[in-house]
Amino acid sequence: MVEVRLEKVSKIFGRVRAVDNVTVTFPESRFSVMLGPSGSGKSTTLYLVAGIYKPTNGSIYFGDKDVTNLPPKDRNVGLVFQNYALYPHMSVYENIAFPLRLQKLDESTIATKVNEVAKLLRIEELLDRYPSQLSGGQQQRVALARALAKEPSVLLLDEPLSNLDALLRLTIRAELKKLQQKLGITAIHVTHDQAEALSMADVIIVMDQGRVEQVGTPHEVYYKPRSLFVAGFIGSPPANILSGRIERIKDALVIEVAGARFEPSEDHLAVLRESNLEDIVIAFRPEHVLLVDEPIGRNLNVEAEVYVTEPLGKETIVTLVVAGNLMIKAVASPDYSLRSGEKVYVSVPRNKIMLFDPATGLNILHIAGESEPA
Amino acid sequence: MSYKVLRILRRRRYVMRYDVETIPARKINITLGVAVGLATLPVVAIYVLLTLSSFADRMLSGPDILEADYSIENWRLFFQGKLDPAATSLYSFKELIMIILNTLIVAAGVTVIVVLVSVMAGYAFSRMKFPGRRELMEFLLLLHAFPGVALIIAVYAIYVWSLKGIPSDILVPYRFTYTIFARAALEIPLSIWLMKGFFDKIPWEVEWSALVDGASRFKTWFSILLPQVKPGIAAIAVFAFLAGWEDLIYVHVFLYTGGIKTLATLIEEVIGNIETAYLPIAAAAGTLYLLPTIIFFIFTQRFLLEALTGGVKG
Repeated sequence: MVEVRLEKVSKIFGRVRAVDNVTVTFPESRFSVMLGPSGSGKSTTLYLVAGIYKPTNGSIYFGDKDVTNLPPKDRNVGLVFQNYALYPHMSVYENIAFPLRLQKLDESTIATKVNEVAKLLRIEELLDRYPSQLSGGQQQRVALARALAKEPSVLLLDEPLSNLDALLRLTIRAELKKLQQKLGITAIHVTHDQAEALSMADVIIVMDQGRVEQVGTPHEVYYKPRSLFVAGFIGSPPANILSGRIERIKDALVIEVAGARFEPSEDHLAVLRESNLEDIVIAFRPEHVLLVDEPIGRNLNVEAEVYVTEPLGKETIVTLVVAGNLMIKAVASPDYSLRSGEKVYVSVPRNKIMLFDPATGLNILHIAGESEPA
Repeated sequence: MSYKVLRILRRRRYVMRYDVETIPARKINITLGVAVGLATLPVVAIYVLLTLSSFADRMLSGPDILEADYSIENWRLFFQGKLDPAATSLYSFKELIMIILNTLIVAAGVTVIVVLVSVMAGYAFSRMKFPGRRELMEFLLLLHAFPGVALIIAVYAIYVWSLKGIPSDILVPYRFTYTIFARAALEIPLSIWLMKGFFDKIPWEVEWSALVDGASRFKTWFSILLPQVKPGIAAIAVFAFLAGWEDLIYVHVFLYTGGIKTLATLIEEVIGNIETAYLPIAAAAGTLYLLPTIIFFIFTQRFLLEALTGGVKG
């Protein structure tokens, strides 16, 4: 097992910068997930690791070994595609045996290995069938078996779950993670499904427009987004984003937003006092919103009108209008009954509020952290 | 809208009664079947009459099917080289076998060249980036539009010029090779397009998978992609074989002038003067000549259909 390291890697297709100066480490024996919207360069990055694409600039390392110019066949990686890409003219057995045959192993070793990996993925009874005779979930297992058969040092997964139906996806998601832990393999998984990323990942790499927006644990990415993009992309529904102004009167510093004023938390105050920001973007998660009749202490309290409620069973999503035309989403308990047009206060505790620099889109706490000398 | 209004609308046929998809499939099949049957009836009738005539004592033209006497006499005479029951033998049975072999050599040769070139070029056009790729594709289509007859003068000029350098002991193989390559060149443009279409339908991911699994590009092409374009290979092979088998002009110009006969030139001889030829024997020759066409179409129609409909499975 090796760690995979990209150093200042760019990939340019014609005039498109698909991957833009990416430096990132996928830790050894961990499950890394690249998350981003379509066109964010995550699949391209995966193909760069696989060797299907060659980087325009930069270097790729497996451990200490520079693999930048190695063809895919010499990298010992396993790759599973969204459409599985099984070989339709070969039986399941032959599909799994294909990479082993290329290693010129003898027939009995191949049989042992195929049966071993088939057992691991519980597809022993499918070995004689052809891909066209399999369901999506079964094809997915076969593709995974084929990728694992040659015992790769890195397992690459390109949205392998997105062609499965919702229920199966949940099952395989858990199994895939279990499998990775059992084998201790370095896995890199690409997805646009944040629930998938949050549930499976040891490390999430959030990508947008060919750049890495944030690298962190699911918890960090969710609760400490480095940029507005991450805050707006992750979470279901994603974070509410409002623009505000900073008002400095002598020593006091308050933020004005949607007709309301609040004093930022101590951490924020410390950073804001050092800066000369005038405009600010504030963000908060829908589940941190309290819907109350009266303002609460030092929280951010904004007058709002209920626009629509969507009961989802375990919770109710409430959409509210503040300051005339801004929409806010809040998660309320399912027994919370509100009617459209009703007036309430949107109340957010100070420590749940995130602040971003409108010019760079970066979290002001991160700016402070990153500018410190290493 | 109230129920009453709807009812009025329905009565006035403002409401569409059927979805487009709900036209019964059987109805379409019957209509199509009848149409195709009518369209092909003349061709089928002629083939049937030709085959029957080869066994009859006269050339059949329709109603006389029931009156004629049937025997294998015509075939016997044809194999003996007698083009008229009363005539002397023009060629021996052995010579006829040689003629059939010659035809097979040309047909098989054209097939091998066309398949080899098209499968490789089709892959390159489908999967590789190189300067002038698009222009070359369009140029191929233009080449296909050229009729073989129009090219024959130039091809013949090159042939005559090249003959000077050929030692006489390999002249016969050279004539065959030249014919095969010249004839194959006419088939190759369209075959490349067909093969490109087949390669285009294989997802890149399949090819990438093989590369990641440890295969070289050539190995991937050979053991992963080729098996998946088998229907296309079968189709171009059949087309190429029949083109070689049926060719008259190229065979006549490059082989017949050198004294090498094929079935096409034989029939040309047999019929010779259509007014004096004994037609039932010519019918036997014609039927023999058509045999591979019929056999091929019966056994490969599934592949051919797939190729002609762009490989979309029905």
